[in-house]
Amino acid sequence: MNFRTQQAANKRKTIGLLVGMAVLVWLVVYAALTYFGTSTAGIVPIAVGIALISVWGSYYGADKLVITMTGAKLIQESDNPKLFALIQEVTIASGLPMPKVAIVVDSAPNAFATGRNPEHALIAFTTGILDAMDRDQLQGVIAHELAHVANRDTLVSAVAATTAGAIAILSDMMTRMMFFGGGRRDRGNNGNPIMLLVSLLILILAPLAAILLKSAISRKRESLADATAVAFTRNPAGLRSALEVLERDSTVVQQKSTSVAHIWIESPLDGKAVSRLFSTHPPIAERIAVLKAMESLN
Amino acid sequence: MKTIVVLGVIALIVLFFIAQYNRLIRLNISVNEAWAQIEVQLKRRADLIPNLVESVKGYAKHEQSTFDAVVTARAKATSASSVADVAAADGMLTQALRGLLAVAEAYPDLKASANFLSLQDELATTENKVAFSRQFYNDNVRSLNTAVKTVPTNFFAGIAKVTEREFYEVEDPQDRNAPKVTF
Repeated sequence: MNFRTQQAANKRKTIGLLVGMAVLVWLVVYAALTYFGTSTAGIVPIAVGIALISVWGSYYGADKLVITMTGAKLIQESDNPKLFALIQEVTIASGLPMPKVAIVVDSAPNAFATGRNPEHALIAFTTGILDAMDRDQLQGVIAHELAHVANRDTLVSAVAATTAGAIAILSDMMTRMMFFGGGRRDRGNNGNPIMLLVSLLILILAPLAAILLKSAISRKRESLADATAVAFTRNPAGLRSALEVLERDSTVVQQKSTSVAHIWIESPLDGKAVSRLFSTHPPIAERIAVLKAMESLN
Repeated sequence: MKTIVVLGVIALIVLFFIAQYNRLIRLNISVNEAWAQIEVQLKRRADLIPNLVESVKGYAKHEQSTFDAVVTARAKATSASSVADVAAADGMLTQALRGLLAVAEAYPDLKASANFLSLQDELATTENKVAFSRQFYNDNVRSLNTAVKTVPTNFFAGIAKVTEREFYEVEDPQDRNAPKVTF
């Protein structure tokens, strides 16, 4: 597959997963109404509202928030003209505006991008990645990060987090009502015991399903960013060998918070992830294989 | 009730028309912007050349023909305006610069001078920027030309006065030389 078909496939899959999220929300609401009756409909907007407010704030101020959470320091062109020249090259290739650039003092090689839109984009590099990579590799990494900016991944992950959050809150409220509210209020509406059991199961399992969907979306966005990076540089070998450096390296970024783990190019958590279903990144070997396949097309 | 449905359908059709029209206009503007970016980068490169030539001249006085080739190519590049002309001049200038850098190879003092090294660095990144702006322009032309030729946007190309645009194709003699196979 070349990068265009890769991009199209990953975009399609993201849409599919977002539709899956929407179906899940609908299922939860339906299950809640079946189990507790329509008198509880009022809590749906409350749950969505709480999730929206909590996620929207971090989406809107993503660039500033992530700086404090990762300890990144903004730098100017005079601080690292070579890095800036490389970033300028990729902005020209992508047609994006120049992002803010930051450095994280950490010997583990890694990088991330954030910001609510291309005008507020921020890309950050650890001192470790700047030391470990040559020009082509760093260009691949920059292209991957700017690809996240171009694909609006901060927005996509905010949407995923909002729906997952709303589902979690809703399901939490419902389970509490089950224990303290004494079950259904209007038993006359839906007497079917199988439906009740299914509804109960949906309410209990939905938050887990939402987390799985959220992780799957994150993985698809990573693959999409790899493909888009190749669209920018037309050099799959650069990003591929950069990922190989990351694969060989076993050091992990010293995180102040795990809540921003998903934004790095190489996940700082996946090494200990329970299963690949929960991980926010595709396995690095798989990403390398896809890029190698693109190289063989040239 | 019926009139509401009819009005709704008409509104949808109008919105669809507007969307197609706007898409073409947007694509056309992107191509113009991408073209402007190429010109910015070519200008940056042209501005670097006098300094580069001067710094090489300081060490290699007798390479007049190489200098002349660069200066002529630069003059052509700065005066060209149509896509094909700019692309041709760009290819010539790239070729002439390659000759200049090859000359520099023969002068160790020149190669070691800090001024030359920094100019060479700057030229390398400018060349990259030129190449990327070219690629970005061609990507945009590709989207525009596809839209001009495919349904449904092709019906609106005339109204929007948007036509197919020319790709930026660099003639690089080095690319032309296919490897000779001998048996």
